[in-house]
Amino acid sequence: MSAALRLGILLVVLGCLYLFLAQPYWFPAGVSSQSALIDHQFKIAFWVLGAMFVAAHLVLAYVLSKKTRSNGKASGGSWRLEVTWTLAITAVFFWLHISGDRLWSSTMISEPAGQIPLEVTGAQFQWYFRYPGPDGVFGRIDAQKFAKADEGNPLGIDPADPAGRDDFVSTVMVLPVGHVVQLHLRAQDVIHSLFIPAMRFKQDTVPGMEIHSHFTPTQTGVYEIACAELCGIGHYRMRATVRVVTEQEFEKWLKAHAKTSGE
Amino acid sequence: MPTSTSNPGSSEKPGFFRHTFSTDHKVIGRQYFFLSLAAVLAGAWLSLLMRIHLVWPKAAIPFLGEIKPENYLAYLTMHGTLMVFFVLSTVPQSGFGTFFLPLQLGAPKMAFPRLTAAGFWIAFVSFLVLIATFFVPGGASGAGWTQYPPLSALASAGPGQALGTDLWLVSIGLFCVASLLSAIGFVITTIRYRAPGMTWMRMPLTCWAWFVTAILILLAFSILLVALTMLMLDRHAGTNFFIPGGLLVSGKSIEHSGGSALLWQHLFWFFGHPEVYIAILPAMGITSHLLAVFARKPVFGYKAMVGATLAIGALGFMVWGHHMFTSGMNPYAGFAFSTLTTAIAVPSAIKTFNWVATLYGGKIRYATPLLFSAGFVSLFITGGLTGPILAQPALDTYLHDTYFVVAHFHLIMAMAGLFAIFSATYFWFPKMFGRMMNERLGRLHFWITLFGAYATFMPMHLLGIAGHPRRYSDLTGVQYVAAMAPLQKFITVAAIVTISGQIIFMVNLFWSMRRGPAADANPWECTTLEWALPSPAPEEGFGVQRPQVSHGPYEYNVTGAEKDFVMQDAPAS
Amino acid sequence: MPIIGDRVEIERKPKLGGGGPGKIPHRRGYGGGDDGDHGGSGDFRSREQRMRRYRIGMMLCIISVTAIFVLLTMVYVFRMGKGRYDEDAHRWIHDWVPLHLPYLQLWLNSLLLLLSSTTLELARRSMARKEEFAAMGIVPPRMKRDMPWLGITVLLGCFFLAGQILVWNSLRHQGVFLDSSPSRSLFYILTGTHAVHLVGGLLVLLYAVAGRLMAIRFESQRIAVEVTGWYWHYLAFLWFGIFALVHFARG
Repeated sequence: MSAALRLGILLVVLGCLYLFLAQPYWFPAGVSSQSALIDHQFKIAFWVLGAMFVAAHLVLAYVLSKKTRSNGKASGGSWRLEVTWTLAITAVFFWLHISGDRLWSSTMISEPAGQIPLEVTGAQFQWYFRYPGPDGVFGRIDAQKFAKADEGNPLGIDPADPAGRDDFVSTVMVLPVGHVVQLHLRAQDVIHSLFIPAMRFKQDTVPGMEIHSHFTPTQTGVYEIACAELCGIGHYRMRATVRVVTEQEFEKWLKAHAKTSGE
Repeated sequence: MPTSTSNPGSSEKPGFFRHTFSTDHKVIGRQYFFLSLAAVLAGAWLSLLMRIHLVWPKAAIPFLGEIKPENYLAYLTMHGTLMVFFVLSTVPQSGFGTFFLPLQLGAPKMAFPRLTAAGFWIAFVSFLVLIATFFVPGGASGAGWTQYPPLSALASAGPGQALGTDLWLVSIGLFCVASLLSAIGFVITTIRYRAPGMTWMRMPLTCWAWFVTAILILLAFSILLVALTMLMLDRHAGTNFFIPGGLLVSGKSIEHSGGSALLWQHLFWFFGHPEVYIAILPAMGITSHLLAVFARKPVFGYKAMVGATLAIGALGFMVWGHHMFTSGMNPYAGFAFSTLTTAIAVPSAIKTFNWVATLYGGKIRYATPLLFSAGFVSLFITGGLTGPILAQPALDTYLHDTYFVVAHFHLIMAMAGLFAIFSATYFWFPKMFGRMMNERLGRLHFWITLFGAYATFMPMHLLGIAGHPRRYSDLTGVQYVAAMAPLQKFITVAAIVTISGQIIFMVNLFWSMRRGPAADANPWECTTLEWALPSPAPEEGFGVQRPQVSHGPYEYNVTGAEKDFVMQDAPAS
Repeated sequence: MPIIGDRVEIERKPKLGGGGPGKIPHRRGYGGGDDGDHGGSGDFRSREQRMRRYRIGMMLCIISVTAIFVLLTMVYVFRMGKGRYDEDAHRWIHDWVPLHLPYLQLWLNSLLLLLSSTTLELARRSMARKEEFAAMGIVPPRMKRDMPWLGITVLLGCFFLAGQILVWNSLRHQGVFLDSSPSRSLFYILTGTHAVHLVGGLLVLLYAVAGRLMAIRFESQRIAVEVTGWYWHYLAFLWFGIFALVHFARG
């Protein structure tokens, strides 16, 4: 049984190694300024912890063998070993932790300048993206009073507010490449979570709160958005796309929309 | 002196009523065991339904037909609730703990036996209420076991959010009360009922784990009870704790204002994270205990183990925010919670080190309980090592609410917990039922479960890394998710095989209960006090003759002893 | 009577493996959970042992109750300090509606609760005296000042509850309801939770009072009073905590 148990453990390790080295599914290609940093941080953690996984299992397989069997007096413990191990593992974990903290402060805390404002609203089961229009100011919203999806005002922009006249709402997120996007995240009913895997971006949208966050797309293309917080029966199909385009195309797109929603 | 615990003269069996509503901790422990067995069967069945629906959405299930998205959400909520509350926090603590804590301490009974009995019956009612939610209009709650408002607070937010959620709240409220009642008995028994000579440092590590867990229960479940009450008031009394203003749900305005949806998350996880340790600490204690027994060695670093248990218990209350890195909580809080979470990884690592060191150099006996304990260590390492990744807010923002997290907690909490439960069942079965379980079937069960667990949950890491959000009832809604269907199919097949493998366990369990070979008093040659009693443990327990403890709990491989172990109640030399 | 202070543990020096094969010198009756319990299950049923168990049980209850009230206080402070995010003004607004409390009634209730705490302490002492007599085998002489302190405590407790109901009523007449605003909800919840806990204590005291009629053993009565005493004083303390909270943190 000893040999079988060790063999079993080795098989498990081999299976896991295969999965994680063959990587049949892995990160989608990163297309935001933070994706390279996050991927790098993950890679460090992945290799360190992966090595620990393999090492720990090899040790486990070794101690489960009969070879280590000793006839002498069994050891009830050793503070020296205990302390050494604790210090070593603390050092490894906190080294990982501190490098993670650095990344967190660079992606979340610092706010770069020169931003494209964009309001994201999650509603069961649809994402809405509102652009402030030429004046750069979002109009007042009162969903309970004015929201009528069939009349083209799903968010409930107050018609009396002049700042809201030139706002327009899109169901596709269109962004110019290379610009910081300043997101204003809101929710109309329950909690949703805006998840753009290619941008390595995720942020819950919480009703009653307006959360600010930002990211910078670095490549043109079309990427998918999913909802990552259980929001009801349509959670799985709360999908949208983000279209990252060149600056000229973005301007053109803005103008086209400004015209149609002008009246 | 007249005693109620021992009555050697009368050997007639107590009547059905007296036996069912017994205050004997051994009866109650067995009752908890069977309650959890029912819960785990229901929970596993639900997970099967979910797995099948995910990859074969058109498959018609006998009696149920095609599964709709709302059914799927109800299944996932109930699967989580059943498994977390009624299995992982019930068997290791209330099941084995109620049965064996007094025996291992040499106590005549559980302190306040009627409280313990009441605890079980309230838990039983709570279980019935939970199951009943399937049959109310709208079906069971579909907001997940975490019940985030406003989804859980508004009846109009989904099909299961009306009566189903009300009953869910009632059921878990009852479960809180049941856990509190049972925990009081645990703590008092440990403090007051230890046999003469049973010092704190002579307590088996199982007892330490049960004791610390009981204290965690007293704090955590009180908090959950308050949070549940507040949510209930929001739903029905018009208060505004969790419901913000201006909501428009499926075209209807909600007349609430001023609540904070994040408040619930803070309250829930302030309970929820200790809850994770409520589930895993007894499992850790059981594993520490069994590794020593089957390696024929004292536990390596007994005091370090006790210290780590206490440290985990204390730190467990300070890390709740790591469930909320993407919730919109102040990003600066991320630093604090991330640091504390990293800190709690250290005592877990100490425990792992000690388990491995306990095995090193032992004369290992490769019986089924050892296999499952070794499996626990392996799963705990595997599931634990993804912890330092998820503890980093920057990485967690990407992995949060994806299958990566599902893989993480299923390995470290669900599978590791289950392996400890299995090892404890094989180990204590003779003391609980007087017979031995079949070794061959046990080994077969182990191999299927070990490979099955890894085959089911390891690939989920990859899904998460590729960005597959959890709690999706259908893979077709998002294109990049749909592309992962082949791996999902593999996982479903693995899950079906694993769960089918549990039939072996059920057969073994029920067959051995009736037909297994009769067990000796001490079949595993253990040192702890429960093995000083005949198998099955007699109703009167230790009776009038209380054991006199003179030895530590793990005196194995003792030089000069006639056997390779010394019972705790052996006379002092 | 067992000696309580004698807890000397003679144990060989800290070996890491407390569970190891090291021999630990043993002396009968030392170090166990039940200090001074010299074996025999009869001792578990002794009054002293029962009392201790109930005391620990009460400590555990108090720990749980504390957790509940600490949590509610945190919610109160959090809610008061943070306010609500206004999506139109794009800023946090302070929507805490200050409470206008009926202070006279509240002070009266506080006084009642304080009095009941005192009478309960008197009841406990008179019972302890009786018990000492009983322990000496003397049938306690009918004492002149043998006031029915327990009954008075129960009455005062009921008055306190009635007073609380009056407070809630007068708030209702002001148009302050459970669902009016967070400050009001929290006031009702804090005081309501406190009242529910007080009812629990009251029920135990009623059991002790009814003891005379229902022939409950004096010993059980005495334990009930002793242990509920702690709880009752603690609830009185909590009450002043709540009072201070809603007074000083009115917003």
